[in-house]
Amino acid sequence: MASTPIRRNRHGGIDIRLSSDERELLLILGPQLRTLLTDDPDDPTLKRLFPPAYVDDTEAESFYRLLARDELLSRRLANLDSLERAARADRLSEEEALTFLSALNDLRLVLGTRLGVSEDDDPANLDPADPEAGLHSVYHYLGWLLELTLAALR
Amino acid sequence: MSGAPSPVELEEPGIDEALAPDTPWVVLVWNDPINTMNYVAFIFQKLFGYSKEKANRLMLDVHHKGRAVVANGTREECEVHVFRLHEHGLWATMQHDQ
Repeated sequence: MASTPIRRNRHGGIDIRLSSDERELLLILGPQLRTLLTDDPDDPTLKRLFPPAYVDDTEAESFYRLLARDELLSRRLANLDSLERAARADRLSEEEALTFLSALNDLRLVLGTRLGVSEDDDPANLDPADPEAGLHSVYHYLGWLLELTLAALR
Repeated sequence: MSGAPSPVELEEPGIDEALAPDTPWVVLVWNDPINTMNYVAFIFQKLFGYSKEKANRLMLDVHHKGRAVVANGTREECEVHVFRLHEHGLWATMQHDQ
């Protein structure tokens, strides 16, 4: 029987019981995204992390980007700090679980963009011969972790 | 349902009693294939303090109609809403309500 690896405990915190492989995976993905955000913030796979606010008004949009972009970037980097702490932790506070959730979602946005996932992307249809099958699995794993974290936070 | 241009639905969600004539901006959230339905509903609850029911209804609107108006207000207010939605990875835009 597998007990839920992420769940609220009696003291109001959130227990996180990941295997060493899972922790290791998060500690690979987090720093990878950090490097991308730091070294190549205009990489097209990051576009979902910096969406436009105004679609029909380029002037307003450039002003928004000017104000928002750096703040969005530092928020993302802080989320990754939290992910790396969570990957080493057994217990998260509510606040830590929220930023962990954000980091998981950030990773999914980047991975999903890279993979060009569609709404009916189904883990059951993974083709093992697909060279990106591994990345798809990671994407679905992150989705599962995200749902568990959400359920614990609700 | 998706694809067809649907009018922004004013009497639907997010437009509360407090709506004043000088608050003509709306915040839209668009459907996307990555964010999960539970996540989107959770963020609506968290950011706007909406009830679970209202957050779910809005999320389903986004999912089925391709977008939904989730908030309205002055331009400044809407920009803050959009920024917070962006912080949480949602695909949000704002526009002047016609």
